[in-house]
Amino acid sequence: MRFWIVAAVAVTLMLGAAPGQSLAQSQEKVIKIGTIFPLTGPVALAGQRCKAAVETAVEIINNKHPNIKVPLANQAGLLGGYKIVLVHADSQGKPDVGKAEAERLINQEGVWALIGAYNSSVSGPASLVAERAKKIFMCGASSAASLTQRKEMKYFFRTASTDEIESQEFVEVLEWLNKTQKNANIKTLGIIYENSVFGKNAAQQAMKAAAGKFQVVADVPFNPGATNLDSEIQTLKGKNPDALFGAVLGADYALMVKTMKKMNWVPKVSLNYCSGYQDPVIAKQLGPDANYFMGSTAYSPEFQSMMPAVAEVEKIFKSKTGGVPYDSDSIQETIAMLVLAQAIEKSKSLDPTVVAETLHANTWPSPLSLSGKVAFVPGGQNKYALSLITQLQGGKYKKIFPVEKADTKPVFPIPPWDKR
Amino acid sequence: MDTLLQVLLDGILNGMLYALVAVGLCLIWGVMDVINFAHGEYVMISMYVTYWLGFLANVDPLVSMFAGGLFIFILGALTYQLIIKYTVGKPPLSALLATFGLAMLLKNLCLNWFTPNYRILSDTWLGDRTFQLGAIIVPVPQLVTAVLALVMIGLVFFMVRRTRFGWAVQATAMDKEAAELMGINTERIYLLVFGIGGATVGIAGGIMPTYLAVHPEVGTMFSLIAFICVAMGGFGSIPGALVAALLVGVVEALAGYYIAPVFKYVAVFGLYLALVLLRPKGIFGW
Repeated sequence: MRFWIVAAVAVTLMLGAAPGQSLAQSQEKVIKIGTIFPLTGPVALAGQRCKAAVETAVEIINNKHPNIKVPLANQAGLLGGYKIVLVHADSQGKPDVGKAEAERLINQEGVWALIGAYNSSVSGPASLVAERAKKIFMCGASSAASLTQRKEMKYFFRTASTDEIESQEFVEVLEWLNKTQKNANIKTLGIIYENSVFGKNAAQQAMKAAAGKFQVVADVPFNPGATNLDSEIQTLKGKNPDALFGAVLGADYALMVKTMKKMNWVPKVSLNYCSGYQDPVIAKQLGPDANYFMGSTAYSPEFQSMMPAVAEVEKIFKSKTGGVPYDSDSIQETIAMLVLAQAIEKSKSLDPTVVAETLHANTWPSPLSLSGKVAFVPGGQNKYALSLITQLQGGKYKKIFPVEKADTKPVFPIPPWDKR
Repeated sequence: MDTLLQVLLDGILNGMLYALVAVGLCLIWGVMDVINFAHGEYVMISMYVTYWLGFLANVDPLVSMFAGGLFIFILGALTYQLIIKYTVGKPPLSALLATFGLAMLLKNLCLNWFTPNYRILSDTWLGDRTFQLGAIIVPVPQLVTAVLALVMIGLVFFMVRRTRFGWAVQATAMDKEAAELMGINTERIYLLVFGIGGATVGIAGGIMPTYLAVHPEVGTMFSLIAFICVAMGGFGSIPGALVAALLVGVVEALAGYYIAPVFKYVAVFGLYLALVLLRPKGIFGW
């Protein structure tokens, strides 16, 4: 009995010490940033890489890295000693979950700003929660153009390119192929896209960009995570468009390519938005079948000569992803975090309104961006967002457009499956 | 005409895969009245078994699918022994919630162990082979899956209808207490039924990496469709599950091509709803 009394007193004393500890912690100079990514669910792979990308940026910001050539790498912390602490949340790729997590991070965790959310469908409602609370929402990779068409948003910032910009670029590529390739004769267009905010926006922008230039003959939405894409590819095969635009993510992209092969059909040219085509793991897993497809790419390891600062940063990223390099989406999350940190440092303030105004008012050096800089227009879009058109050739992302940045010529048309 | 035949063939081949996934669920549901929410996760785990055997030991899915079947047989038996056993005689909701919890556990364990990476097995024996039948393209991996489904469903049906073990299973399904009075060890029957149900879905999952990427979410949609097939076919009716799965596959393909691809699951779930309203016990239910 005496033992239990002693034990109870010891436990009480230990518990009593805890508040003192947490008080000490709260007195530390920390800036809590909440992340919202799809850490589980159908696009968990992309979400986990985005999380690793933000962690990479925070590691650079919080510690001295003289060998890394990005802003703030040469100092430890911000505003003379503040460290960034991340609080992660999982949206599961669902808008309602993402919105609830944004509310929890702001109201219960007391985060100073949010970063996320990969899925455009989640970034939309989650950023509205942040806007109401006057908290900054840094968006790396969500591509729906509508997110930055909300001109009234003062706290929302996106570093990546939008599907509107990419659609215009895709149409330019088709026009360029028509001019430069013998007998290209690209007249008709098919669009395959997942039935989500991201996919629908991409399709809408594709139709807008193609209007008056190419005839859209196949408009094929599909349910993400489907057991097969037979009807979808059969429909495309039936309409046989000359060119195909695809807004297809993750495993669905692999299934799309495999089903095209099964049905022995390919268009003359296939251009893809986002992280199905851009995912180096999918490209590797698909092997030679992935070749000759094209897409917009803001970063791939083949771009390192244009962006020498990435190499050292990527070492940290790879240590968190089991050796997988950055892709176009994940690198945007590192950029978003670094730009936010620069704005905090420059504004010398932790008032979100002041930092948001500073973000809007300046052009930020960004050695991890293709253009080398970031600046935001009203609505929060980065006006210097840039991506190149690449084509997978021999498993490598080869730059083909714009011509002045190209390192190889396109293989056109895509060779039929039985002639590869 | 060629397009219609192609669409029908694709629908039938997909339907046969759904049937192979559904038959195990049907057996468990029919005998034990337990809805196994972890059925899709069984598919996913079996796919991982085959993938890793292929990736690490170069074993083709045509061989390793049996290892997948054995693995899920053991997993199914363990599910019964460690979870379901304690829910027998309790409200049906307890088994349902327990298997839902198991599904979450298995999915997140795989997410943790294997990461969400998509994994594709290349250079398999069946590969992406196809052959032409006139203007129709016949995909060999899906055709082999369909034949396998027929064999497996036939074997399960034969076992239930023509063997002493099957009669014991039927007796247990009809009246557990009466079966026990006749000397049938119903505990053992339940254990084996869960194991055999798992083995069939294990074999289905085992062959799927031949043409599908493996990742922790891959089983979700298959699981949902399997539930629909079993409910439409009539709870516990193996021929019913087969017919319903074929119907689902064909309706999905026809609606997907002739109405709109995005409409294919709408048509499937609409058909399910209509059938449940018109004949709540399913096509072959009694």
